[in-house]
Order: sequence, then structure tokens, then C-alpha cells
Amino acid sequence: MTTSEFDVVVIGGGSTGTAVARDCAMRGYRTLLLERDDIASATVGTCAGMISSGLKYRDEPDIMEMCSKEVVHWNRIARHLIMKNPILAPLLDLSDAASDSSYMDSYSEHVGEREVPPMMFLTPDASLEIEPMLHPDVIASVYYEEYFIDPFRLCLLQAIDARNHGAQIRTYCEVINFEVNNNDEIEEVVFYNRISGATESVKTQVVVNATGPWAQKVAKSVGDELPIRLNKGAHVIFDRRIVNVGITVKAIDGRWIYLFPHENTTLLGTTALDTWEDPDTLVASFDEIEYLLQSMETVLPSIREARIIRTMTGVRPLVPEWKVPEGKVTRGYQIVDHSETGGKKGLISFLGGKLVMCRHMAEAVTDIVGKKLGKEVPCTTHETPLPGNEDDVDIIALSKEYDISLHALERMRARRGTEMVKVLAHTKEHPEWKTTICTCEPVIEAEIRVAIRDEFPQTLNDIRRRIRLGTGPCQGTFCTYKAAGILAEELSLSGDDFLVDILDFRAERWKGIRQSMRGEQLAQEELAQGMYACVGNLDQSDVDYDLKPWEEGI
Amino acid sequence: MDIEADLVVIGGGMAGLVAGTIAAEAGLNVVVIRKGQSATAYSSGAVDVIGYLPLASDPFSSPEEGLFALSRLYPLHPYSVIGYDESIQPEKILDVIVERTRDTVSWLKAHLEGTLAPVKGKFDSNIHPITILGTTKPTCLIQKTMDSGDLNERDDSVLLFVGISGYADFNSSAAAQTYLEDRVVSGSSPQKVAHCVLQVMPFGKPYNISSIELARHLDHAGSIEPIAEQLKKHIEQVGATHIAFPPIMGIRNAMKNKLKLEEMTGTTVFELLGFPPSIPGQRLQKSLETIFVKAGGKLLLGHEAISYTRDGALLKSITAKSPRREIKIDAKAFLLATGKYIGGGISGNKNGLRETLFDIMPVTGDYHSALDIVPSRSTSTLSISPVGQPIQSCGLSVDPRFRPVTEEGLEWAENLFAAGAILAGYNYAVEKSGLGVAATSGFNAAKNAIELIKEVA
Repeated sequence: MTTSEFDVVVIGGGSTGTAVARDCAMRGYRTLLLERDDIASATVGTCAGMISSGLKYRDEPDIMEMCSKEVVHWNRIARHLIMKNPILAPLLDLSDAASDSSYMDSYSEHVGEREVPPMMFLTPDASLEIEPMLHPDVIASVYYEEYFIDPFRLCLLQAIDARNHGAQIRTYCEVINFEVNNNDEIEEVVFYNRISGATESVKTQVVVNATGPWAQKVAKSVGDELPIRLNKGAHVIFDRRIVNVGITVKAIDGRWIYLFPHENTTLLGTTALDTWEDPDTLVASFDEIEYLLQSMETVLPSIREARIIRTMTGVRPLVPEWKVPEGKVTRGYQIVDHSETGGKKGLISFLGGKLVMCRHMAEAVTDIVGKKLGKEVPCTTHETPLPGNEDDVDIIALSKEYDISLHALERMRARRGTEMVKVLAHTKEHPEWKTTICTCEPVIEAEIRVAIRDEFPQTLNDIRRRIRLGTGPCQGTFCTYKAAGILAEELSLSGDDFLVDILDFRAERWKGIRQSMRGEQLAQEELAQGMYACVGNLDQSDVDYDLKPWEEGI
Repeated sequence: MDIEADLVVIGGGMAGLVAGTIAAEAGLNVVVIRKGQSATAYSSGAVDVIGYLPLASDPFSSPEEGLFALSRLYPLHPYSVIGYDESIQPEKILDVIVERTRDTVSWLKAHLEGTLAPVKGKFDSNIHPITILGTTKPTCLIQKTMDSGDLNERDDSVLLFVGISGYADFNSSAAAQTYLEDRVVSGSSPQKVAHCVLQVMPFGKPYNISSIELARHLDHAGSIEPIAEQLKKHIEQVGATHIAFPPIMGIRNAMKNKLKLEEMTGTTVFELLGFPPSIPGQRLQKSLETIFVKAGGKLLLGHEAISYTRDGALLKSITAKSPRREIKIDAKAFLLATGKYIGGGISGNKNGLRETLFDIMPVTGDYHSALDIVPSRSTSTLSISPVGQPIQSCGLSVDPRFRPVTEEGLEWAENLFAAGAILAGYNYAVEKSGLGVAATSGFNAAKNAIELIKEVA
């Protein structure tokens, strides 16, 4: 056991955890982030990336105001990761429009600072001109705009920026225990290193529990109660941008669901089901897929013809309000200082919250951490750009200079901003690294190598989160083995590990594909089986493959 | 435009072309129509007969052993169907299955001789060629370009895996590492494995190089010499006796290139089994087409069967559509070899599966109707495992003469036969039986069709 000392240990590498680590590190606190899997590997990795105006939460004006302010901050510090989607709410009968119009006013209050036009009604003609696939009987639509961020890149850049400011980021380290002294103060955090198999511990003064749906579990491991309301949400993902703009509609139960063009795909979501299951085992159900499709079909009849490539499922860590539907639970967050609720001193937990407010949550908790450490420093996370957001990037000039397609470069820019030049520089010495490995996204070899060297991935799935490898129509059918070879080279993996990486990546892709098997995915899967089982003979491989939580108990 | 034929084969992959050739050789007027690229062209180009029993972990030592085991346990497997003939005594069924499959394999081997894809391999023993992942798989026939000679027999063999810079389909170091570990564990030869990367630039650019670019490049005179020159240095360094190339040795001149490289380097050179887009798969496809046309068959490419007419128990015609025309083809018998999901013979949505041309009821691997199965429920939670994905065993159920049957268990039409991946009851990906079932069912379905046509005449 090695022991080192930190001011603050942050548990959880999601949007909140990485934001907290970044804030703590920027304020000069000795910071360690522990994540049991990879950065953005759970809750935030299954969201649509909306950094919302808070429109849905207009009953909570404070939250709506906070959301708007945070959008302004994001546009300042991470605009290279941000896309703006115009959104239409098509109306098929007047009752939809008349039910409530206060939202227009609440939305429009903040449009100036968010730099978007006020919400407006569009005529049927104008609606159909923007989105010709809409139902022809649409009588009007409401138009507004929302910002979206790449949630994977956001978390990763927050983690990398934290590291740049002196924090240690440890992925694949799962907290298993705490050492508590006689004064009920946490002194040490004990964690299991899943890569090395070793148990390690560190001394710390404060622990921030930013584990989302696992917050209760972490609190329990130190003997504290932390009520939480877990709520499952699923998305259906289509193979391309099938709509020009976002579409939002009321589902059969009156909840709003949406269809958003997202990166190279389109997301249809979400469902909301209270859950008591282990979040790691959850997958989308047939009902959830049909709930979403049937509801969207009412305004976009052709949605059934679109090609579904997979589903994704996450769990919302809601504040534990009872006797209200999910949509009425506050979207604000709570910070629970366990020392004030009769629990362990030094432990602070989060409940609730949304992606858009992760920086705000971090600022609030870091203020508390500063007080506890007796070292209060002002927050600067809203002013300091994340890596890559220093300047504009001239894609056209880069395309000419490096002879790489504009499309590939634009996708890289959306991940790296100005930092993409570091990737491209490698291709001067290694022109062969301009080879496209993932043709769906697309991703070139140089970016895979840079991600492996600089962004601490351990598996192909980690690379996927960093650069969207294998996230397109073929779901990694053609890039899994190519990227696995590069990973094996860079990390000097054994042959067994090379094959395990292939199997693990196929397993994770299959987790989402399986639920929505239909149409062209049947042929896609026949091809994948033909390659990896029939030719590669990997179904007969005797490597050490660990069953995944969602695969167990068949 | 209308044409007439004795037999119309719908689908031009392994099953359809073997069937078409058999019928053409029997003197029939045969038309094969093909919509697009066949799944055969995507295959590794090796011909599996049977590698594993479903769920078993030990490979069969020979197709013969496999067929005996399989047809005992799975009496409705397409291989088993070839043994159901009224004239055969029950105790002879297994022997007949093995003999008829052996006949198909011999027939295929003989016919592929002299084509772009000559094959080698014996029905009495499976071979275990190396794949581009560095793994091995059991198969029956490999193309002669994949022949690794005495690699596993010699104690002193040293295998060199050759990659090509900017060609992402093959990573020589990962494959070498994987194969070496496998050899070390099994204690078999070669015990020394190396890897290298060559520079081959078909269009003068060092990146995004594809299999087809490389294969076409190697078809040109003068392309082998610079490769041999580069190789020599690496061969000397490690003392390589055998050289493993990704499957890109050429389309027209692959065998010639292998021999030339062997002569120039003094080693044994062979191609690994690879993934699509597959050059050996395309060589095999082209060879099967050549054989069929040589036998007198007519091949209509780019034609999709879209409708049919029938008269009572007989199918009368099908209509095939190409971008510029529609053709009605009248025939005495028809053979459906449209494949499964890749080929387009079977399609599915959330409510169930459909056979796409005649709307014949598809069945599951357990021979229940697949008309209203939810595809996601016919899958395993495990992506790649010996269980496979049960949805891949769905297809058409056939009578002993390979005629698709309806829900009532009767043939859909007296003169419609089916062969290849459209058949239910086997999962080629886990059995390693794809092209073998295609060839054997095509061979035997065609025999039945010929018999029917001659009876009618």
C-alpha cells in the first residue's frame, strides 16, 4: 500500500466530478480524482449533451436563470465543443398551444445573454420549409434554440485541465473503503486499482462524492445514509442527422420528448422510469423504444423508416422528492455536507443537478472545500478556457496543408479546437497516420495515437469516448480490429489483451445495438458475426474475458 | 422483354452459382439473376464445411467427423436434409450425407482448378489457417495462395508477418504477437514469429491504402520485385522461412505473385484469412461466375427479382428489374438463393421476419414461425460467443428436396427450391459452415430441380 496526501479527493469522473477536480486544482488545492471506470463512462455519457436554457424548469425561475448564465460561461470557455440546434415544437391541434404560454415569456427573458432569438410561433409553411419531414397537418410550431456540448469531450477536457493545474486523475480506481478516526473524520480513502489489481490508499482532508447514481452507495460504504431518487432514461440513436433541426413533442403520457441531431447521428429521447436496479445492468427495453418512436411518429411520420443503430441508457440521480412525477422533481442540485447531517466529517455529496450546471455545482462545492481547508480562493473556472478554445481554427487552410478531407478535419476540430494542430503535426513525420481508421465518424490514425499517448485511455471503449471511434452506422464493425491493433502497439499489449480489447468493444457496442435489432441492423450484425466469429474465430477464443454486468445471469 | 429458361436461380453467390452450374452442366437452360454483390464476395475466400458443433469448444478434426456428429444431433440442419431421400435406407442416411457433401467438395475443388481461386484441402481433415488477427480457424478448403506449406511441420520455421504502411486492415505486430502466444501455449511450430512493415504505394500516396488498390497494383507487371527487395532485408534479419501477407496478393495474378515472391526470397509466402472487403472472396466469386458461364449458364447482373406469377402448385415466372428494364422470365423450376440479411433474402422489423420475394414463412432455428418474433429477443446478451446470435439461424424451412415449406408443412410450390444462407437451422458464424452449406445445398437442390424438370419433360 502506498500512501500519499491530498487536500481533496473527488470520487467520480463524470461531468460534476471532473468539474470539481478542475475547480479545486485551479484554486491550488492538492486534488486527486478517482473514477472506477473511465472519464464520462456512465451517466453523462448517456445524455444528449444539451446545455439547456432551463425551459423545462420554468416553474423554478432561479434554476432557469442559473442555466442561462451557465450557457454564457460554456460559450466562453468551451465553444469549440458546442453546437446550437434550432428546435421546433410542432403543434397538431390548438389545445397544445393554448395549454400554457408562460414558457414563451420565461424563455425570452434570457435570450439576450444567450445570444439567441426570442421564442416564436411559425406558420405551417414556415415549419415545413425548415423541416419538410413534419406531418403535413401541422397547424403551427414553436421555434426556439438550445445549445449542445459534446459531453465526453467536456468531461475529458475538464479532467485534462485539472491535470494541467496539478491534479492527479486516476481512472479504473474504485473506492472501496474509508478510514475514519474517532472524531468521525475521514482520514483516508482506500481504493482498488482495477488495472494493477492493487489496493491503494491516500490521506485527504475532504472527500467530494460526485458519483451521481452511485452517491448513495459511496455514502453507505462509510456508514452514512443518503436518500436519492434514481430514474432511468433511454435514447434511441439513428445512423445520421435525419432531421434539419431538433423536434420536440409531447409523448403519450404528456411528457416532452425530443429528437436532436447530435454529432453525426440523431438522438431520440428520453424515457423516465424510476429504478432500483444496479445502473450498470440497465439497457433500454422494447417498451421504451416504442414509447419514443410512437410519440415522435405523431409529428414525424417517416421516423419509422429511419435506421436505428443503437440505444443508450443512463440513470438520473434525482433529489429524493416523493409523490411527484419525475418531471416535477426539482432539477436543481443539493450539496449534502455529511458533517451537518450527522454523518462523517469531511464527506460532501451531490444530489440532483443537470449537465448544464456542473460547473456551477463544482464552484459551490469548491467554495465549501476551501472553507474546510481554511484556504479560500476565488473561482475562475467560468473565465478560463478549456484546452483548445484559445482561438478559431481555419479548417480550409489545414485541409490544404495536410491533404486531409474537410469533413475529417471539421469533426476533429469539434473535439479539439486549436489543439488539433498537435495531432496533425504528427502526420508530417508519419504520413501513414493520415489513414482513416473509423470511416463512419471519421477518425484518422494520428488522432487515435495522440489520444492513447495524451489522454490516458486503457481500452478501446475509452478511445471511443475520446474521439467517437465506432459510434457511427457500422457501430465499430470495421474499425474495432484496426483500432485494437493500434492500441496494442502503443501500449505493448499481449496478444490476449489485443483480442480481449476487441471482444470488450464488441460487447459494449452490442449492449446498445441488441435492444433495437431490426431493419438494416440485422445485416450489419450478420456481417459483424461473420467477421469476428466466423473468420476471426473469436467466439472460440480462450482469452480471459470478464462478463459485463449486463451480460450476467443469462 | 420476356425470356424462357429451364431453371431460374435467384441469387448469384456460392449457392446460386453452384446450383446454376450443376443444372447447366446437366444440359439445362439456366439463368442466374443477381441483385448486387453477394455475401460470398465478402467472405474470407476459404470454404468452411463444418468446424464446430453448436456450443462445442473443440473443433472437428475433419468435415467427415463433423457431419456424422452434426447430422445425428440436428436432423433438420441443411446438411442433414441432403440425406433424406425416399430411396435411402435409414441406416445409410449418415453415410449418404457425408458422401454427398464429399462429392460437392470434390466437385468444387475440381471446378476451381484453373480459375482465379484454385483451392486445396481435404475432406478428411480440417486445416487451421491463420487470420489477420493472428488467430486460427478450422476450415476445409483454402485458396492455394493461403497455403502455408510446411510452416507447422518444420521445427525451425520462422514466420514473418508483413504489414503495409498506411493499410489499416492489417496490423502485423498485433497479429504476430497473438499468433506467437497461441503457438507458445500449444507448444507447436513455429516458435519464432516476427513482423515488419513494407512501403507499397499503388497511387503514390502513403495513407488510406485499400485492399483493392493493393491487389490491383500487384496484378501489374513489375510490382512484385520492389516488394521482394524490401522483404529480403527483413527476412535476413530474422531468418524467416515463411511469410504471411494480408490477403491482397492480386486478383488476376495472386498465385503467380505468390510463386514469384517465393522464388525471389527463398521462403514460403501465403495469404492470411481476412475481413471484407475481401480480395480472396472476390476471386472466389469471379471464379464461380466463370465456371457457371463456361458451363453455358446465363448470368444477369444487377437484376432484382421483384414479383412472380404462379399457376396452382407451380411457379410460372418471375419478373426481374434492373435500372433500365424489367424482364419476365418463364421457367420450369426456380431456385431461391437470395441469402439471409446481407443478401437480402430475409428482412425484418420489430414485428418479425419476412422472406422478401415470395413472402414464404421464415422460421427460427427451432423451426417455429419467425413471422412475429421480436428480433432483439432472438439474440444472446453476449456479442461474440459460441452461443452465437440465434437470429442468425432464422430462414426458410425446406422439405427433403430443398423446397421451402409453408406453415402447413407443404411445399410452397412444387417447382421452387432454396439453397444457401436463406435456409434455417444453422448458424454459419459459430459452426464455421457458411460456404460449405451454400455449396452443398446448392448442389443437392439443383439435382432435385433437374430431376423435376426432366420428369416434366
